[in-house]
Order: sequence, then C-alpha cells, then structure tokens
Amino acid sequence: MQGLGRSLYHLRVRNQDPTTLIGIVLVVLFGYLIAAPIFLLVTDAFVVQFADQGRAGQPMGELTWYYVERVFFSRISMDVFWRPLMHTALISVSAIAIALTVGVPLGWLMSRTDLPAKKWFSTALIVPYMLPSWTFALAWLTLFKNRTTGGSASWMESLGVTPPDWLAYGFLPITLILALHYTPFFILLFGNALRQFDSSLEDAARSIGAKRGTIARKIILPLMLPSLVSASTLIFAKCLGDFGVAYILGVPVGFDVLATSLFRAISTSQTGMSALLALTIVILGSVSIFIDMYLLRQARRFVVIGSKGSMNRTTALRGWRLPAFGFAMSIFLISAFIPLMALLLTTVMKVPGVFALSNFTLDYWIGTDVGTTALKQGILLTPEFWEVTWNTLWIVGSAALGAGFLGLLVGYVVARTEAKSVATFLRQVTFLPYLVPGIAFAAAYLSMFAVPRGPLPALYGTPIILVLAILADQMPFASRAGISGMMQLGRDPEDAARSVGAGFIRRLTSVVVPIQKGALVSGVMLPFISGIKGLSLVVVLAVPGTEVLTTYALRLVDYGYSQASNAVVLMICVIAFGGTMLVQRLTKSNLSDGLGNK
Amino acid sequence: MSSISIRDVRKTYSKSAAPAVDRLNIEIPKSDFLCLLGPSGCGKTTTLRMIAGLEHPTEGKIVVGDRTVVSVDEGIYVPAEDRDMGLVFQNYALWPHMTVAENVEFGLKLRKVPKPERDRIINDTLEKLAIARYRDRLPSQLSGGQQQRVALARMLALKPDVILLDEPLSNLDAKLRLEMRAELKRIHAEMGATIVFVTHDQWEAMTLATTIAVMSEGELQQLGTPDDIYERPANRFVAEFVGNLPINIVELQDNSTNPLSAWVHGMLADIRLTAPAGSVGIRPEHVRLVPVETSPRPATVIDIVPTGGSWIVELSADGEKFFAITPEPPGVAPGEQVGLSVPHESLHIFDAAGSRIEAVLQQTTGGKS
Repeated sequence: MQGLGRSLYHLRVRNQDPTTLIGIVLVVLFGYLIAAPIFLLVTDAFVVQFADQGRAGQPMGELTWYYVERVFFSRISMDVFWRPLMHTALISVSAIAIALTVGVPLGWLMSRTDLPAKKWFSTALIVPYMLPSWTFALAWLTLFKNRTTGGSASWMESLGVTPPDWLAYGFLPITLILALHYTPFFILLFGNALRQFDSSLEDAARSIGAKRGTIARKIILPLMLPSLVSASTLIFAKCLGDFGVAYILGVPVGFDVLATSLFRAISTSQTGMSALLALTIVILGSVSIFIDMYLLRQARRFVVIGSKGSMNRTTALRGWRLPAFGFAMSIFLISAFIPLMALLLTTVMKVPGVFALSNFTLDYWIGTDVGTTALKQGILLTPEFWEVTWNTLWIVGSAALGAGFLGLLVGYVVARTEAKSVATFLRQVTFLPYLVPGIAFAAAYLSMFAVPRGPLPALYGTPIILVLAILADQMPFASRAGISGMMQLGRDPEDAARSVGAGFIRRLTSVVVPIQKGALVSGVMLPFISGIKGLSLVVVLAVPGTEVLTTYALRLVDYGYSQASNAVVLMICVIAFGGTMLVQRLTKSNLSDGLGNK
Repeated sequence: MSSISIRDVRKTYSKSAAPAVDRLNIEIPKSDFLCLLGPSGCGKTTTLRMIAGLEHPTEGKIVVGDRTVVSVDEGIYVPAEDRDMGLVFQNYALWPHMTVAENVEFGLKLRKVPKPERDRIINDTLEKLAIARYRDRLPSQLSGGQQQRVALARMLALKPDVILLDEPLSNLDAKLRLEMRAELKRIHAEMGATIVFVTHDQWEAMTLATTIAVMSEGELQQLGTPDDIYERPANRFVAEFVGNLPINIVELQDNSTNPLSAWVHGMLADIRLTAPAGSVGIRPEHVRLVPVETSPRPATVIDIVPTGGSWIVELSADGEKFFAITPEPPGVAPGEQVGLSVPHESLHIFDAAGSRIEAVLQQTTGGKS
C-alpha cells in the first residue's frame, strides 16, 4: 500500500507539468530531423550502395572500404578528392591571409581611432557579410567573364579587352571574393576584442617605461590573439562549406573545391561517394570548430574583459585621418559598392559596360519583349519569378517560424527539465548542424528522405524536405537563442505565476512567451534571413517545382541570362539587408553578437 | 487562516549528496508569524519552497489547515498553482512585460474575478501600499522599494490564508527595511494570515517573528520565541548564530592550565550540572569590566568601538579574543588591564556535543566572582 502511494507520488510530481514530456517529443523529433540523417550519411559511406554492387564486388548493404579506397586511393581520387582538397586549402589560407591583412587595420580604425564617419563605416563595411557570398561571384562575372561561358558580354569585354581565364575564373577570383566576404569577421571580432581591452593595461606598461611598439607586441597582440585565431578558424570552416562562389567561378574552367566535387557526386547519384566526401567535409569542419572552441576556452583564462572602469582610449590619427578614410572607403567600394552597382547597372543596360543614354533600359525588369528565347519579358513580369518568390517566402518563412518556436521550446526544456540526459541530448543534437556545412547536410538529407522511411513517403521533390532541412540547419542558432533567453529569465517569474495559480499552458502563453518576445523575434528573423540567402543546402534539395530565389538565380546563371539572374540576386540582397537592419533595430542588437552563427 | 504542519520532511537533490532538509518537524499554529532562520545553504529556502509546492519532498508530509498538500507515502501531491498560497520572492519576480496593475490583476483574472471587482481590489491594494500612482508603470521603471511593494500587492490582492516570504527585505536599504518591516507587521495584524518567512538576518527574525525556527545543515536546531532563542539557545550553533555581536565561547579543558578555562571552571564549581560541561557561552552584554584587583580574570583592552549609545570593548584574555558591551563609556583605554566579571546565571553551558545543559544554581554560595 505504501509502495503504491510512493509510486503515485512520484508519478504526480513528474507529471505536474509536461516539460519532460515535451523534452522527449523534441528528442524524438530532432533525433529524426538531425541525428538520423547524419547517422545515415556515415553508414552510407561504408556500406555498398545498389549501383555499386558490381564494381565493389559485394552485395548491396554489406560493409565495405570500397568508397574509402575510391575517394582517397583510386585513380580518380586525385580528381574527386586530393586536388579539390588542395584547392580548398589554398583558397582558405589565402582568403584568411587577405582578410587578416585588410580586416585587422580596419578593426583597429573602427574601434580605437577618430576615423571620420566611423558609425557609417560600422554598417557599410559589414554589408558584404550580410549578403550571400555568391552575389559577389555574379558581380565578378558581370565585370570580368570571357567567352568561356555564354550569355552577354562582361564590362571588360565591352571595353574591348578580353579577360584571361586566370582573371575571370578559378583560384584568384574565388579567393578574393571569399576574402572580402569574410573580412567582416576580422573587423568585428578583432574590433570587439580591442574595444573590450582595458587601456589601464597599456598605461601600466607605459608607466614602467615600455615603448609603443613594445606595448603593441608584448601586451596587446597576445591578448588579441584569441580573436584572430577565432576569426581565422571560422573563415576556414565557412570556406570549406562555401559552394556558390566556387560553383559560379570554378566550374566553368574545371576548378573544383571539395564542395563542388561533392555536388558533382550528388548530382550524378553516387550515394556512397557523396556520403564519404560529405563526411570528410564534416570532419574537417568539426575539427576546425572544436579547435576554435578549445582556443577560446584557453583564452578565457587570461582575457581581461573590461572592468567598469575600463576605458578605450581613442588614438588621434592626425595627418593620417584622410589616408585612413581613403583606405576604409576603398575597401567599402571594392567589397560592396562596385559589385552591387555592377549588378544593378547590368540589369538596366542593353550592352553591359557601355555608358550611353541609349543603352539604358528597364526592359529586363519590366519589359515585354526582351528578345531571348526563354525569358521574353522583364523579370518582374515573369510569373515564374513570382512563383519562386512566393515559394521562398513560405518555405523559408515556415522553416524560420518552426526553428524559432522549437528553439524556444528547446530552451525551455533545457532550462527546466529535471531529466538531465534529455537536456544534454537536446543541447548537443541541435548544435550538430553547425558542424555540418550546408552542402554536406543536404547530402545527409538525401540519404534520409530520398526513400520512404517508416510512415513517411519519400520526400525528395516536395517542398517539405526543404522546410525540414532549412529548419534543422537553423536549429543551432535558434536553440542557442532559446537556451540563453530561458537561462537569463530564470525560474522566478514562472514560479511567481504558479503561486498565483497559473497552470502550465497559461504560464507559457502569458509569462514565458511575452517575456521572450525579443529572443523569439530574432530567433525567427535571423534564420529567415540566413535561409533566404542560403544556397548550398537548397541547391541539392530543390527541384524545378520547389525552386527558391537562390536556386532560381543560379539556374538563370546556367542559362546565361545574366541580367535576369542579377535582378533576382538584387532582390535577395534587398531582403537580406533590409531584414538584417530590421532585426538590429528591433532587438537593439548587433550583428557581431551573433557572429559565428550560421 | 490555516495552521501548517511539517512532518518528517526530507529533501535530497541527488542520491549521493547530503540531504538539503532532513528530519524536519515543525507545527505552525494558525496566524503565527514564523521565521525560518539560518545561514545560506541551511535548507530554509528549500523548506519554504516545499510548502509552496515549488519543490517536492523526498520523504514526509505537509498539511495546511485540514488539507494534506503533499504526502509521499499516501501519494498526494498538490501542484503549486493549486495551493492558494501567497508567495513573495527575494528578487520580487515581477513580470517585466506587465504594468503594476496588470501584475496585480493576473492572479485575479485566473480566479475569474469579474472586471469591476478586479479593479476595486487592484485600487484598494495599491492604495494600501501607497503605490497607486505607479499603476501604469512597468516594473523596470520602479525603484527596488516600489517593486517590493508591487510584489506584496500582487500577493495580498488574492487574500491568501498562508503567506510565504523569501528574504523579502534583503534587497532593500536600511530605511526601506524599517518601513517594510512595519508594513509586514501591519499586514499580519490586519489579515491574521499565517506567515512563514525566510531570512539569514537574525535582526529581521528577532524583530518580526512570533516564532523562530533556527536551521543548520538541513536540520532544525531550535523552535521557539525570539526571547527563547536568544536567552536559552538550545545549542552552540544557535548561541553563536543569534546575537549582533558574536557570543564569547570558552572551551573547557579538564585538567588544563589554560587560565580562561580555569576561570570558568571556577564559576561552574558553584553550579550543579545535569551533564558534564564542554564549553560555555557568555554574551558580550553580560561581561562586566571591573578594576583588575577585584577580579580573578584580568584581560587587556585592545580596542574600544563606540556604536552610539553603547560601547563595544574588544579584549584579549590569554590570547583569546573576548568581547564586552557596556551601556556607559567603559572608562579604560587600549592597552590597559581590566578585570572580567560574569554573573553565574547568565552563563550558557553546553555539553561536549554542543547541546545546552540546564543548570541548577546552588544557593549556598551564590554571588559573583
């Protein structure tokens, strides 16, 4: 009798609110949406696939080293893996070097000097990061492409000079574009670190007679090192997964990186190969991110975060004000203004790069007889464009809404549940996509949802797979926002609500959600912006019926309709930029706070 | 108005850790003003939260009025939201997105009180706590003292039988504390509710409570009136914890030559004890300073601290720190020698384990040494 009473008691205590129950539902959900696809990716790489039974000499489903051998050691391994790996490494290292050279001085100018128009620059110089990286690849094509690819002539060609291949495609432009796109990492991370740096440390050094150069070398640099390392590893991880730039500028001349090699394996249905390639990218990405996390943890031991009295002293540039301004301005012009203007102008010019009044036209936007075979009217009059825009808005919109709310729920469960194992699992599983570059995550989704699984039919070709993939891909940010929001909130407001008689649902709707409104807005908006910009994930999963703006733009590039694709890209930029500014305004936050998030 | 009965309650957070609360038995009569007093980590807040239903005991039973709110053996557990108790948090826990009026209204809405009635109650309560003019402000626009009043108003509007307060005065400055203290006493007198409140501040406990429960390491040390607790501490922990200035403790060693110990032994010779004494506590206000020739116990004055109306004299007796409080200027200077004198009846005598020993004074010799 007593034993029965006790079990009843524990049952009642456990079920006083459904937090743990919700936690278990979330565990199942994310096990299905995140852990299972990645697990399948791993197994796909090591068991014989249907198409390879003959070549592997083993029946389907058996464990095999066939793909390992093929990717790393076979005759084609040079083409599918080693050369792309080399290219990827070269590009990342060069891009990091360039971004460092440009970003560190800018970070210093922005945080510690009296640079003119500092506030304006603080937004202007970050613009490249707000926009999709491959936007700049398109701009590059607009300016420098040659007859290797079709479509209208580039500006340079119109000026009578044919750009050589090394300038138009491949290593040089890819590196430059990635470098400029990720320079904001250095500006923000290094700048923030400098801003938090306590000037009294400098004063202390000066008071015992250290020279400026010595102070910079012996005091400031060691303390700034973590931010530099962090920015570098983040850029490396991003370059590893960046698909669009290499696809647009590399593929025309057969210049492959890991991401494009993986894309080719996927598009030729080599499941086993693509799984192994994806896995390799995941491992490289994870290693770099773990190195970053480790170094940051190490750094926290000695980082002196500004105390209340910390001052950050402004260095007067004096005679260098103008040259410094010129430097910052030229970086803005090169990395944001010129590419965007080139894109914009192309869409209103009949022949690119010819500045005559008669050459300007609005036909590519609103014309009715452009004279091309497929896209006979301006982009704004093309029904397909509006279909795709609508697709994008509802697919990405529902994914972002889902991610935002699930993120808050994850935060709630992690902060509240007494089942520690549930909390730990949720925390880790929602972080997992962060380690997986979009293109590899897409490969994982193909492994999972290209065939019927359990009660679900095959989802490939439906918009649902896109919604789920984007949602899962955005979970690292959304759940982190939710968790930190709930941790900050603490239990008290909810306990207070309990004490006046509010039940679980009531507490959630009247107390938790309203208080977390800000976190929820950014938890929905930021995934939305990031989803609108995203290319690598959707390029694998979208089919003609479920196209979104990014894949549509890419298809237009493939067809050679540069004006139309540029117009689409500009629309994406407008949405991404406007959205980012809106979020910053709404949440009074700064982009740098969320840096390092996808 | 409800009594509260806590029976054999135990709470462990994990199987390996020591219990946060253990073997707790407290009977709180209705309309009592009980204070749970103890240092941080003693289990007082856990106890309060178990009464409120925000924590669940591992063992035991809690009965409020004639309603068992939790009983492990009988399988009874009433969740916090169904217990109808008033709760005020240390950091107030106002809902930041609701105005003052909305904070107060929330609980009334949940109880389906009709709108005109709600408005009347909100006005009355805010009026009573002198915060009516802030009714449309958000908590972030209020000072700490005002927030505290809103937290009280939110709780009082529901007219609970049982009021639970978690360190309600600890975030206020000295003047506000006095004000709120008076407010709490007034509320108690007016409503007659049973109040349980938690504090680590013995001054708060002494001045507010009708009953004090002193806790340490999860266990109840003593339950009694403020006077009881101060005058007749049940053990050394209570004696040392309660009192503005720490009580002087003299460890007794049997055959030692320690002069301080020998002096106290001498005093105990006149007293019949029910058990062997292990140590003795002497409150600073019971220590009298006498000319050094008239006392067997000399001490050196180290410092004199005037505290306005009384003087704290810090002494050194054979290397041990000793405190005395005098109601008049002590008339000695640092470095001088004085004699110590303590009336027998003001000795607190503890056995080797630290429990209080009742002493019977032998009238034959009497007097003071």
